[in-house]
Amino acid sequence: MTQAPIIANGLSRYFGTGDNAIKAVDGVDLEVHQGEIFGFLGPNGAGKSTTVRMLTTLLKPTAGTAFVAGYDVVKDADKVRRSIGVALQDAAIDPLMTGRELLTLQAVLYGLSKVAGKNRGEELLERVGLTAAADRRVGTYSGGMRRRLDLALSLVHEPTVLFLDEPTTGLDPMSRLTLWEEVKRLNAGGTTVLLTTQYLEEADQLADRIAIIDHGHIVRQGAPRELKAMVGSPTLSISVASSETDEARLILARFGDLRPTSEGTLGVGLARGAEDVASVIRALDEAGLKVRHLELDEPSLDDVFAEATGYRLEGADAANKPVETEAEPETKKSRRGRK
Amino acid sequence: MSIAIADPKMMTSSSSGRSLFRHTFALTRRSVVGRLRQPAVLAPAFIFPLFFAALGSASFNKLASDPYFTDNIATSFMNYAVAGAVLQGVLFGSTSAAGDLATDIEQGFFERLLASPISRTAIVLGRLVGSMVVAVVQVVVFLIIFLVAGARVESGPIGYIGLIGGGALLALAMSALMAGLAIKSGSPEVVQGAFPLVFVLMFLSSAFFPRHYMKGWYRTVADWNPMSHIVEGMQGFMNHDLSASQFAKSWLLPLVIAIISIAFALRALSNRLAAS
Repeated sequence: MTQAPIIANGLSRYFGTGDNAIKAVDGVDLEVHQGEIFGFLGPNGAGKSTTVRMLTTLLKPTAGTAFVAGYDVVKDADKVRRSIGVALQDAAIDPLMTGRELLTLQAVLYGLSKVAGKNRGEELLERVGLTAAADRRVGTYSGGMRRRLDLALSLVHEPTVLFLDEPTTGLDPMSRLTLWEEVKRLNAGGTTVLLTTQYLEEADQLADRIAIIDHGHIVRQGAPRELKAMVGSPTLSISVASSETDEARLILARFGDLRPTSEGTLGVGLARGAEDVASVIRALDEAGLKVRHLELDEPSLDDVFAEATGYRLEGADAANKPVETEAEPETKKSRRGRK
Repeated sequence: MSIAIADPKMMTSSSSGRSLFRHTFALTRRSVVGRLRQPAVLAPAFIFPLFFAALGSASFNKLASDPYFTDNIATSFMNYAVAGAVLQGVLFGSTSAAGDLATDIEQGFFERLLASPISRTAIVLGRLVGSMVVAVVQVVVFLIIFLVAGARVESGPIGYIGLIGGGALLALAMSALMAGLAIKSGSPEVVQGAFPLVFVLMFLSSAFFPRHYMKGWYRTVADWNPMSHIVEGMQGFMNHDLSASQFAKSWLLPLVIAIISIAFALRALSNRLAAS
């Protein structure tokens, strides 16, 4: 397969018609490369799940085209379904069945023979750490166990492309870490993963590239590091004795724009990035100034998100404050927790 | 480990046919297992029909002293009540099966099935066949209980098959009708809400009381009510020598209703998928 495993061009989905139509997804262009983890980041209602539902054949696009695993999601929907694994945020797992029974059922639905299905089920149960609970009804599982079973179910037929829709939403930190490790392991084995998330840390930890979606549009796309670099240079904050502040300020100004920081510290945006830290320290040292505290703040994905959308997805203080951007800041507001 | 699965490019119509059978069988199994694991839902489908049969036998036993009843309708009121119990039990069971389908839609398991490469028809058929399997178990259980209590199947061994097959076909017809409603609404509450209408229709039939003794509008409704004819076909197996009319009423009539109901259910499914 030479084609990228996931390609979308102008993918759109409107609900309703005419002037009242809600543009849940509006002209999304995507290309997910072979073997990468692609993070789809956005708040609730941004269009993440709707996009995934179109890419997994559960929803027909209003406009645009999409190819998954080399097949058209509309014309070759059945072939797409055979090639992908899907763990949807809102797809329930039958609470009356056991984990093992569900894996067996999934194996039959994907055309595995009885023996192959049984072996694959056992392998996956072990892989996600559910062997001991395999014969318990799913209704007795914790949220984390259900998510791990959900992941195992999506892997029964060894898909080349895996869609995970908010796989860790509602999970405790330990369960989240366990799932991240499993996703990384899968990806290391060659599986292309598209995951949606509203957690910045998750996207930062897992994704090779991310797309930020807001109001149905992709507003930024690229590797997290590139996106952060686009937002600006890292800020170096230092504190020196009050008598040395003026001299330190002059030295710092040689390395970039001075930035406001907390009281008692000086900040500079390092024009050439983090590699200038050593030079700054050297310059201060040569001037005989004693640095009491030093801190380097890289731009975060939250900054990228804020710059792109005009509001923050996560963060304590900043969460509800509109951020100055070029993109119509007056019309945006925080949608954290919005349903 | 490498797993051999069907290559999307190699799928043919014959392999699709085999897949339909395999998927339907797997989903039937899930449907039956799910029902057995909900005793609180399953129990009424067994207990209520027996309760109504016992109540009817106690209340209307005097009918057995009427020569018309014993000559033309049933050898005893208990023998008469068997078919009514089967009808009632199957209606309970079919509604529960459709309710499970609506729950699948509401809670998202239906979506999981849609995301897999299975025939959409199998999703519906699995529930319907599961409903038929449960109905067969119900009829066998009812027959054992009634036979122990003194009832007799007058039409002989074929009559047993007639009753069991009639119960299964009735389950197919009713569960398809309710499944159509479940798919259309996607709500278990709507399915459960429709059940009282079916229940009223059953009381306006000859399930619990012979049409011969009815009068006025009640008789007219019962005459036109398909349930009367289906249940009378089953009563025929219990109380008379074997005849073709018994099969026509208890097999052919539910089969015709089943065909219409399945078409309705599949149409509802098609509309739901088109809307997504």
